[in-house]
Amino acid sequence: MFKYILEGAGSINWMAIASLLTFMAVFIISAVMAFRSQPAFIDKMANLPLDDSTPSFNAENEQHEQ
Amino acid sequence: MAQVEQFQYDNAIVRKFTYATMVFGAVGILVGLLAALQLVFPALNFGTAETTFGRIRPLHTNAAIFAFVGNGIFMGVYYSLQRLLKTNMYSKFLNEFHFWGWQTIILAAAITLPLGITSSHEYAELEWPIDLAIAAVWVAFGVNMFGTILKRRENHLYVAIWFYIATWVTVTVLHIGNNLEIPVSMWKSYPVFAGVQDALIQWWYGHNAVAFFLTTPYLGLMYYFLPKAANRPVYSYKLSIIHFWALIFIYIWAGPHHLLYTSLPDWAQSLGTAFSIMLIAPSWGGMLNGLLTLRGAWDRVRQDPILKFMVVAVTAYGMATFEGPMLSIKSVNAISHFTDWTIGHVHIGTLGWNGFLTFGVLYWLIPRMFQTQLYSQKLANTHFWIGTLGIMFYSIPLYWAGWTQSLMWKQFTPDGFLQYGNFLETVTQIIPMYALRAVGGTLYVVGYFVMLYNLIKTIRAGSFQAYEAAQAPARVATAGAHKGEHWHRWIERRPIQLLIGSTIAILIGGMVELFPMLMIGDQVPKIESVKPYTALELQGRDIYIREGCIGCHTQMVRPFRSETERYGEYSKSGEFIYDRPFLWGSKRTGPDLHRLGNKYPDSWHYNHMLDPTSMSPGSIMPVYSWLIEDDLDNSLLPAKIAVLRTLGTPYEEGYEETAVADAEKQAEEVTARLRKDGIEDENLEKKEIIALIAYLQRLGTDIKPAPQAGN
Repeated sequence: MFKYILEGAGSINWMAIASLLTFMAVFIISAVMAFRSQPAFIDKMANLPLDDSTPSFNAENEQHEQ
Repeated sequence: MAQVEQFQYDNAIVRKFTYATMVFGAVGILVGLLAALQLVFPALNFGTAETTFGRIRPLHTNAAIFAFVGNGIFMGVYYSLQRLLKTNMYSKFLNEFHFWGWQTIILAAAITLPLGITSSHEYAELEWPIDLAIAAVWVAFGVNMFGTILKRRENHLYVAIWFYIATWVTVTVLHIGNNLEIPVSMWKSYPVFAGVQDALIQWWYGHNAVAFFLTTPYLGLMYYFLPKAANRPVYSYKLSIIHFWALIFIYIWAGPHHLLYTSLPDWAQSLGTAFSIMLIAPSWGGMLNGLLTLRGAWDRVRQDPILKFMVVAVTAYGMATFEGPMLSIKSVNAISHFTDWTIGHVHIGTLGWNGFLTFGVLYWLIPRMFQTQLYSQKLANTHFWIGTLGIMFYSIPLYWAGWTQSLMWKQFTPDGFLQYGNFLETVTQIIPMYALRAVGGTLYVVGYFVMLYNLIKTIRAGSFQAYEAAQAPARVATAGAHKGEHWHRWIERRPIQLLIGSTIAILIGGMVELFPMLMIGDQVPKIESVKPYTALELQGRDIYIREGCIGCHTQMVRPFRSETERYGEYSKSGEFIYDRPFLWGSKRTGPDLHRLGNKYPDSWHYNHMLDPTSMSPGSIMPVYSWLIEDDLDNSLLPAKIAVLRTLGTPYEEGYEETAVADAEKQAEEVTARLRKDGIEDENLEKKEIIALIAYLQRLGTDIKPAPQAGN
């Protein structure tokens, strides 16, 4: 049945190979570029959630920020 | 230096979604507790159609996933998006449209599911008018989100926002793909795909609903709220970049692991297994990134209930994402599939990951929006411990039940016979585990109400700040990438490119998985003896769908000796070519039904539906007495035949005109057999039970020799 379906679907080998290569490309490029990025930029991005641009109003929050 | 601009964050919309999350969390888990208790005390089905397990289960799953977690996602997204982009939301109208639209959809689900209006696709049960409404509201959410992104003051998009974007685009694709259906009436439709193709589409959807509704948006929330609660940046922003791309690329491929050993072609099953195992890497990368964010702050975890909830949530995510790939290994899946192990697994994810992360966010968010302190840290800590115990009491008995039942299914005597030939023995054995699971669920519910009390007291003590003043420099848009700037900084400034990149990443997996199956549409191996359902059988099948029989019964005999001995010949893909929708199921609380046809006399089914314990003493199946009282409605039958023919079922031209008469004729035949066995009800031939019996007696008989009359 496996062979029958593959024959019926035409040549799909290229799909499997292309997808594996695409995945490898996505993974390697994102890994290489992530590790090559400038520390200052990474630091800025990582700290974005901590900057609300609002004054802190919560005492507990104040304590956290010490 | 850009000019500093004054603006306000809109907390009003966040508060609305927060309240909805609190309310629907209670609804979701209470309905879940009812379902759990029904398996221990069948009397709690109350003998009415609307409250029976088959209809309650989808109500629970939809309430937990789309009402509780859905509102939780929107609560977190609307809060964090504004702050990460340093702007308010794009459109107040879209805020309101999104909120009220989503709640209306939940209301529609809460009405239609108990009424038995369902497409039977798991986690996509809602019928087509509601599907259209979901599409409209989801698009409104997308427009609002992208509008907000476009008017942002912060040039770069933080990783949480990438997860929101990937969520939006993937859910859009999944929702459309799995709900391609042709309406028969306002509340009835048939899916475009049949049998094995429908199964593949459904589990491509079902798996990725877990991935892109329960996981990626919550990872976005984790990347925002965990650093906020810990007051320190995420452990590694670099890791989060790799986490994002690897996760969204791989996740979409893993759907076929829900169909191992079924009639799905082997190559698709292997693809699902391989990518499921690969998923461990990005999932654990994300989990470790979350946990390591707390490095140097573990002393605070001991005191702060918010961090406690978040740590357990992230740990549960790690456990579930390790267990999932393990369950995708075929030899493990042969044991786990169709058992309570799967239910235990998903509840580690929902109760632990989604539930506890939501609780952490609620405890963090509400005091801030209401400018006060949490009413009681002690109560929050109490909630944490009751909830954690609840998860353990919920999942450990179910793991135990799953292993026990699976081993019993497969146990042979030295003579080569099934040791537990009666399926019911394997159910009654695990009922104590079901009782313990209900205890776990009760603990979780108690903890939840402790939280509600704590949060309501906090809300009452505080004063709500609907609009929070903020200031940030205006964004200086840059036209292109700077020389020497790397590509990811460029992408982070460009939401549309990020959207396109995410779409390509998820479409590659989806296409490779689905295309070969769809392209061979007419080439699923046909079996000459497999014919379309008769008019009456079709009606019976729709009753089977309406009652949610799929919640407890599979129609998929796997090619194991333990299954062919118990049920008969294993299921072939060619047997399902007229099954719209497919009804393979995912859980065996009762036995598989694919070879049920002609196994018992018609009167057995009649008596079994009236009172299951009369035929199977000790059974926990609910009674279905209304099927014996209610008349079968044939008014939609001609339209059903016409729609199915349009989709490729080879009904003869003009059959719709004679379909009702044909159904009535077959009903007379079934009735005559019942009367012969002493069932003398008036107008029996008009009742719904007749159609259901006709369908059940047809099941799996196309490739089975016809029995002697009367057997």
